[in-house]
Amino acid sequence: MKYSNPQIPEGINVSQEHPLKEFFILLAGVSAIVVAAVFVLALLAEWLVRFIPFETEAALVSDGFAETTLIDSQRSTGDQAIEDYLQALSDRLTEHMDLADGMSITVHYSDDDLVNAYATLGGHVVVYRGLLEKLNSENALAMVVAHEAAHIAHRDPIVAMGRGLTVGLALACITGFGDSGMSQQLLGQLSLFTALSFNRDQETEADRVAMRAVLAEYGHIEGAADLFELFKQQRGELMAPELLSTHPLDDSRIQAIEAFAHESKIRPGNRAEKNETTPLPEIILQLANDNSYN
Amino acid sequence: MYDLIFFLTLLSLGYFFGRIAEKRHFRSIIQREQQLRHILTFAKRYPLNATEPTQVALVSGNVVISLDYFKRIVAGLRSIVGGRVKAYETLVERARREAILRMKEEAQRLGAQAVINVKLETASIYKGQQQQVGSVEVYAYGTALY
Repeated sequence: MKYSNPQIPEGINVSQEHPLKEFFILLAGVSAIVVAAVFVLALLAEWLVRFIPFETEAALVSDGFAETTLIDSQRSTGDQAIEDYLQALSDRLTEHMDLADGMSITVHYSDDDLVNAYATLGGHVVVYRGLLEKLNSENALAMVVAHEAAHIAHRDPIVAMGRGLTVGLALACITGFGDSGMSQQLLGQLSLFTALSFNRDQETEADRVAMRAVLAEYGHIEGAADLFELFKQQRGELMAPELLSTHPLDDSRIQAIEAFAHESKIRPGNRAEKNETTPLPEIILQLANDNSYN
Repeated sequence: MYDLIFFLTLLSLGYFFGRIAEKRHFRSIIQREQQLRHILTFAKRYPLNATEPTQVALVSGNVVISLDYFKRIVAGLRSIVGGRVKAYETLVERARREAILRMKEEAQRLGAQAVINVKLETASIYKGQQQQVGSVEVYAYGTALY
């Protein structure tokens, strides 16, 4: 018997298709599916997370909240006085908001240069020294505190957390990096999620509620507009961008504020009808002075 | 952002170098297969002509070929939707043919005309480890008759 070794044609086991073609088709298809799935999941999470009672939310973050970096170890006795003042201010303002039953707002002061304030899970609001140094009147500070309190009243932090965690977990499942290390990292970034991802509607709504509370407390919103002057100034200077990154300012927000001012017959910045602003207490003013000496 | 730049750099490096290496390897395989065509390989266990006295020896060829980053990403995407993993098919094809060629080269050094009882073993290196670029091993062995 005679054996031979015929030449086998190429391309039987190997596809001649260009590898980039397959790559781009797969990439486009998978991205479209992932984006759609994540969008639906985010919507569902936002809807479902509102059913979590506030007490449960508070219990979630009660362990070791005070020991986190939010409230650092460099507190002096003066800081407690500032915190008490901020808490009292917040309590006065939240009386004019309809907080849900059992909801309480705790204000913390952080001795840090960041020009920022934020609301996070469990009804906690953090105000940084850097922001206090920039404000001119109690009315502007009241606007900040009321804005953050309004986020909590509207349950924005837990909605943002629910969305962030769901999207994060979904992506971790798809990419397959869902080991425990990744979940730890996710949980560690909870406060980051909640601080960063309020959307434009949530910001506008918080502005509206805050202005209503400030109006009810002081009878006018003079001085509160200073806050937005600070925003504008920061946008121009690109200095201390933290406030803008967590509270993006866009034209629709400014328009909403102006419309509110118009409705309440009070024009911010109209010097002819200027209302008296309440000055900041000495302990706050002292901060800016201390800093200028350094 | 830096992650994305890093990823795209790895992806294009993987694509360009992987593609150059693959084309070069296929050219070499086709050329060497032509040179070694006279050595016949069989899967059967017994000599073709058992009546003639003959010498036998174990000949083998072993090869390990690594994935590139581009192939890994394409295969990763493919694993979500299913279907032919074309990125890996070329890899396994190259490894299989190269292993047989190396075995035949050893047989040629012995002056053999045929290799019987040819078998292929395959193994995946870095099996199951996350974040690792894997490689495939193919080991071809048989009995050379000379």
